[in-house]
Amino acid sequence: MRLSRGRLIAGGLIVLAVLGFVFLRGPTPAISIKAETIQSFGPIDLTNTMLTSWIVVIIMVTIVYLRTRRRDLVPRGFQNMFEAALEAFYNLVVSVAGEKNGRRFFPVVATIFFFVLVSNWLSLFPMFSAIGLVREEEHGFVMEQADVGPLPLSWVPLSSPSRLSGDSIDEDDADAEEQLEEAKEEGKIVGELIPLLRGPNTDLNTPLALAIVSAIAVESWAIASLGIGYGRKFFNFGGMFRGLFRLNFGQFFNGAIDAFVGVLELISELVRLVSFTFRLFGNMFAGEVIILMFIFLTPLILTLPFYGLELFVGIIQAFIFAVLTLVFGMMAVAHGEAHTGDEKHKEDDGALASEA
Amino acid sequence: MVFLAEGGIGALGFNLPSLIAQFINFTILLILVGWASKRFLFPLLDERRKRIQEGLEASEEAKKRLAQTETETAAELEKARQEGQGLIGQAQQMSARIQEEARQTARAEGETLLERARSEIQLERDAAIADLRREFADLTITAAERVIRRSLDRKAHQELIEEVLAEAPQGGDGKDGQT
Repeated sequence: MRLSRGRLIAGGLIVLAVLGFVFLRGPTPAISIKAETIQSFGPIDLTNTMLTSWIVVIIMVTIVYLRTRRRDLVPRGFQNMFEAALEAFYNLVVSVAGEKNGRRFFPVVATIFFFVLVSNWLSLFPMFSAIGLVREEEHGFVMEQADVGPLPLSWVPLSSPSRLSGDSIDEDDADAEEQLEEAKEEGKIVGELIPLLRGPNTDLNTPLALAIVSAIAVESWAIASLGIGYGRKFFNFGGMFRGLFRLNFGQFFNGAIDAFVGVLELISELVRLVSFTFRLFGNMFAGEVIILMFIFLTPLILTLPFYGLELFVGIIQAFIFAVLTLVFGMMAVAHGEAHTGDEKHKEDDGALASEA
Repeated sequence: MVFLAEGGIGALGFNLPSLIAQFINFTILLILVGWASKRFLFPLLDERRKRIQEGLEASEEAKKRLAQTETETAAELEKARQEGQGLIGQAQQMSARIQEEARQTARAEGETLLERARSEIQLERDAAIADLRREFADLTITAAERVIRRSLDRKAHQELIEEVLAEAPQGGDGKDGQT
């Protein structure tokens, strides 16, 4: 009986999943919300997310340098893809913000988009969360060790049919000390494996930094477009004071509402920072945890849908972050224009009323 | 590795099962993404490349056509300029010829007029000389009458004078008038 190609592939995948379940199950992963410190330099901690973000920056700078150093008039290969991606994003920005504002917003928005995108996709590479530095402790993974040249190496051994998961010592176990002694007698090492690389956006600091950059960019665009008068969006007490001095209750009441709305605007700006930060952090951290857990539960094949999902989430989150920055920038510029228009309208109304 | 030891980190570690699993999963993902790219993304990129290529070729073609048109236009202009120059030359020649003809006609007419004027002057002069001669004869007779205080035969004297004058040399050199 001839087996079809599809059946062969399906059978192979099932065999692979079973083999993975038998031989590739590690110990229960340790999940840390805080980025792990690789090394401290005085008050500054070098974390694995910082290291990864530097790598991301180096990758992006290298790509841009190589792509802009020599350009073929008719692009091919990677240059074609690079140009198509930039062109598509540029067209999107211009279609939303118009030619003038689009050109102004594009560098910041595109940098945010591509930084977040490369960070998210890079963290799907195999060495993330699996290669790290070992810190000896009384609990954690039980690892074998060997000296390879000047560098001592430790590793979590593969599982086997007799032991379907890697060894680890839980801090809360009653016999944790006995397990530790047993492991040491066997020449093994117990400790935490601190990953050298970790997705930058799984550290709350990176999304927060990006959100602050985004907020600064938005406010500076608004100030550049509307001048210092943009501050009236947040601190609009003029009408209230005028009503107070003229003892005009109606004007005072309207002014108080304007002032309150200004305060709400200020709060919304701050809340926007928080929402920006936690949206990206939450999505990426959850994605990392899901992949870690599924690699622990079903190491091969069944994890693949989540890799696909993370590819999708990675680009969607980068897109959302960048486009929200763009939209908030447009709103800030347009808000001021509308506000200025309203003021002018009010002044015109006042002039007409006085003439009447 | 001193700094690692100080921080309590002693070795480079691998979560071997996780690393291998991630590696295999990632490889399969790459194959799937590569297949999807080949199926969906690369045709779009090829289309984009083709569009750029065609655009550039069309632009080159348009440039060539423009250059060719410019050359042709320049040649036509040069030809027209030369024709114009020829026409101007012919017109100048014709003008010169007409001027010369007009000049010659005017000169001939002038000479004719001059000749006629001269003839008329000559006739007038001859008439004037004849009148002068008559007047002179009369005066001479009158003078002779007064000198000799007597009346002579006027007719005979007139004939005599006429005869003398006829013997005198003819001409308009002015010397006759002075004698």
